[in-house]
Amino acid sequence: MTEKTNPKPEETKIGVYVCYCGGNISDVVDVEKVAEKMREHPNVTIARTDMSMCSDAGQSIVENDIKELGLNRVVIGACAPSLHEHTFRGTVARGGLNPYFFHHVGLREQDSWVHSNNPGGATEKAIRLMYAGIAKANLLKPLDMIKLKAERHALVIGGGVAGLRAAYDIAGRGINVTLIEKTPFLGGRMAQLETVFPTGNNAREDLHSLINEVRTHPLITIHTLSELVNIRGYIGNYDVQIRSQSRGVSGDNAEAALAACTQEVPDDFNYGLTKRKVVYRAYEGCFPSTPAVDWEHYDGKPIEIDGQKVIFENKKKTFDLRIGAIVIATGFQPYEPPRGDYGYDELPEVVTLPQFIRHMGLRDGNVGELTWKGHPVRDIAAIHCVGSRHLAGVHEPQPDGILNNYCSRVCCTATLHQVNELLDEYPNINVYDFYEDIRTYGLEHESYYTEASKKMVRFLRFHGDQRPEVVAAPEGDTHPVLVKGKDYLTNGLEVEVPVDLVILAVGMVPRPVDDLVDMMKIPKGDDRFLLEVHPKLRPVETPVPGIVLAGTAQSPMNIQESCNAASAAAAKVAVLLAAGQVELDPYVANVDLDKCEGTGACIEVCEYEDAIVLETMTVEGKEVQRAVVTPANCSGCGNCVSACPHHAIDVQGWEVAHYEAMVDAITMEVEI
Amino acid sequence: MDENKLKADALVVGGGIAGMQSALDLADQGYQVILVEKEPSIGGKMIMLSKVFPTLDCASCITTPKMSAVANNKNIRILSYSEIQSIQKNGSGFIANVLKKPRFVVEETCTGCRLCEYACPVDIPNPFDLNIGAIRAVRVPFSTAVPQIAVLDMDNCILCGKCARACPVDSIDFLQTEKEVEIEVDTLIIATGFETTPIDAKKEYGNGKLHNVIDGLIMERLLAPTGPYARVIRPGDGKEPESIAYVQCAGSRDETLGVPYCSRICCMYAIKQAMLIAGSLPMADITIYYMDIRTFGKGYEQFYQNAQAMGIEFVKGKVAKISEDENQNPVVRVELIDENSQIIERTHDMIVLSVGMIPKYNPSQVYGVNVDEFGFVKSPTPNLSSTKTNQPGIFATGASTGPMDIVDSINSASAAASSAASYLESVRNGK
Repeated sequence: MTEKTNPKPEETKIGVYVCYCGGNISDVVDVEKVAEKMREHPNVTIARTDMSMCSDAGQSIVENDIKELGLNRVVIGACAPSLHEHTFRGTVARGGLNPYFFHHVGLREQDSWVHSNNPGGATEKAIRLMYAGIAKANLLKPLDMIKLKAERHALVIGGGVAGLRAAYDIAGRGINVTLIEKTPFLGGRMAQLETVFPTGNNAREDLHSLINEVRTHPLITIHTLSELVNIRGYIGNYDVQIRSQSRGVSGDNAEAALAACTQEVPDDFNYGLTKRKVVYRAYEGCFPSTPAVDWEHYDGKPIEIDGQKVIFENKKKTFDLRIGAIVIATGFQPYEPPRGDYGYDELPEVVTLPQFIRHMGLRDGNVGELTWKGHPVRDIAAIHCVGSRHLAGVHEPQPDGILNNYCSRVCCTATLHQVNELLDEYPNINVYDFYEDIRTYGLEHESYYTEASKKMVRFLRFHGDQRPEVVAAPEGDTHPVLVKGKDYLTNGLEVEVPVDLVILAVGMVPRPVDDLVDMMKIPKGDDRFLLEVHPKLRPVETPVPGIVLAGTAQSPMNIQESCNAASAAAAKVAVLLAAGQVELDPYVANVDLDKCEGTGACIEVCEYEDAIVLETMTVEGKEVQRAVVTPANCSGCGNCVSACPHHAIDVQGWEVAHYEAMVDAITMEVEI
Repeated sequence: MDENKLKADALVVGGGIAGMQSALDLADQGYQVILVEKEPSIGGKMIMLSKVFPTLDCASCITTPKMSAVANNKNIRILSYSEIQSIQKNGSGFIANVLKKPRFVVEETCTGCRLCEYACPVDIPNPFDLNIGAIRAVRVPFSTAVPQIAVLDMDNCILCGKCARACPVDSIDFLQTEKEVEIEVDTLIIATGFETTPIDAKKEYGNGKLHNVIDGLIMERLLAPTGPYARVIRPGDGKEPESIAYVQCAGSRDETLGVPYCSRICCMYAIKQAMLIAGSLPMADITIYYMDIRTFGKGYEQFYQNAQAMGIEFVKGKVAKISEDENQNPVVRVELIDENSQIIERTHDMIVLSVGMIPKYNPSQVYGVNVDEFGFVKSPTPNLSSTKTNQPGIFATGASTGPMDIVDSINSASAAASSAASYLESVRNGK
């Protein structure tokens, strides 16, 4: 090894800080003992403890020590680096040091939380981890953040209310937005509602006010029938490819085609309650108003328009965009019970709440009597928590192996809102509401529960492990369906309620977006919903820089919560792109050109496109191939480091020598 | 610039978690923000909490770095211990008159060394610990306060001068007076937060006079590592409780208290506290009396199921009455709805009332914004843009708009920042 690649470590003066983490660490680890041990280390100038190092007071101590004691390295033992490594790097920089002269040791997630039953062992582990941190700190080199130009252009995926809200707010900040929607029409699930709580407003009128703002905004471009098919690049500079399908009809031909079309399919807008043509509008007044061909179901046969036979053609096109940040607003779909569950899909009198809402919307102004499939409806049962709050060991996991053990948050208020509206119109109908807990949690939501009680809705409470059953009534009974269960408001009384209609308050599941998940390498939670980095510190951000979440793709939310999350996502995009520049951590591969022999082994193992390539360069008058890293594309995973036969590559800030020193420190024979 | 006249793009009123998040999101976009906080330190209610659901992160682990980020952000200026007096319209923007209360400590020179605090002979109830612990009349408000500047409580000061003699930088100023500051801004965010429903409001629950009945916020301080005793004890006699009960909806869903709404957070904080107590007092029996368990947020239902698995007892029943026996043990009278509706009386060592949320401040007079019957700011568009108010350019966020937990407050705060930024841009582009 030459002197140049292996400089002598300068004499280090290390400040070591061990955090109590408000008891999270100190309840298990003897923090004072750890600090005591550190003071004996020859490189350590000072070792201190604090209740919370991340507080302003705690950070000020570090700043002052750097200035007053001339520290040139800082090691802090605290929570996981994912939480506050960034915070402390700022502290070190304010103290006047290069921010990468800092090493963060995870003493909470990696120690106190997992060894809470063994305080002695946890303390020893903390000491050894801190020794390792010091060993690494000795070898740290100054680094600079990677600064990149950021494209002031955001992509919003999903044209439901969250996507619309996010698009409008980002554009409001002066940033270009491209909004893509998979279906031919904007509006998403909100368009399928009739009225919304807590205002009682017409859902589509509210929605259209937002759609109008979005479609007339000069900075927003909308592409319906469009999907993301490819993505490359990194925050500030994503190269995305979008594939659009054509509407199949346009201009004068559109209305004529709609009129002439005869092929019918179940109408997904009405959850299959009705049929529609394959040339269709989602609903009257939808945007765009031009009809579209349902390519999935169109049989390809000619349709006769004005005496001419026309075959619709799907003219697909793809186009490329350079995007700075991406908002994922792909939304939810209602949980669909398996056939036979609560009689669903077997008994015609069992519907889901979304279907029932459509049924109410489809009535043509006839208020005399509510009917279902031609029969008058006198008695209705609503059953809560269908597809939600499942219990391990009691309920079967879903076909994908996941147990829907979460609360879907919206269904209680949505059900009672619908029931109240129903009873306003049809006061003679009896409603039996089977619930586990009524969760009308919002400021104005409890009043829906109170109102339903006043309207004489009969509430029957089941236990989560004893949910009601829905069965066909015996032939000749007064009602077609019986709901059986135990009511724990009346001492577990066995009840059998004859009804004409059963409404299942189904929960939410995310729309399937595995293609996006794979393409973007973003995580999903145990509940299938997309996962944020941290619910409080970074609640709408994914771990992939520049990709944020809006609305029910992340978790069940009502409209207000979806819009707030979407606006929050817009704020994060604005923070990232407003300056037209982004900064990335410099933990990327670095090639030592003196050692590189251009074998290309690194490129074979690299999982990121264009992160490392061979370039031709001239060395001592000879043309040779050498590996070159594009820092922005490199994730710092280290695959290339292990593959290089000449040990020519290291990840900056995490060099092989660092690991070796850390391992030596951890395994060092020392009395603790 | 004249320190009595300040100018910025945005004014955020309230330095709790919502106000801090709004300020950070605006400042990080390059806008100049002034954050006005009534108390001597920012941090709001969240900094008082022990750990937060559902992650069980310690509250300071989330709050203190945000406080620090606010303090260190070059685009944010904090005016602590200051209150808005009036707001005038000024074209499309506003002029706010702010009263800066005297700390009797010179902010510019105080280093937060606390020597004054150590020298002060006067102990007063500590407001940060909800008056259960003690603190000196002059002190840094709490260890992680931002700014780290002392404040002197003149009402309790005996003017002995010990603090002034102890101060190495001559920062004690007994003659300091209040100061008026005029702030010119283009947009305003109300983030004035909440307070808990009063513990003494309900006759059936002893009007706050029962010895060993406390509210959820006090339990937060008992559980917090920075709290007065660093352990859970009965306030009546200092005994370690062996049986602790939570009474849910003790201030919410109760028309007799004028709070008919659900406060959203109480189920989760009760369950969280129960889990924390189970950790610190493993032998204690913990019971939660509830009407409905409302664990609706992401990860909350699993949290509830975990609590059940830990052996915390959940009893469906609205507590009708709390009294106390001769040993000052609280006694609940409750109908066990799940057990043949028996009406029983059960004695516990300590009861925590899961009190709800009411607005801290009614901004209708000063800001001209519409509020609902409870004083929460009412948006004309609660679904599509919940942070908008009826006054263009004024936005409201967090618990000032209704009960909400921290996660929802943070999203609401970022949403308010988004709306305020759009407003600033539209004003500047002359739309």
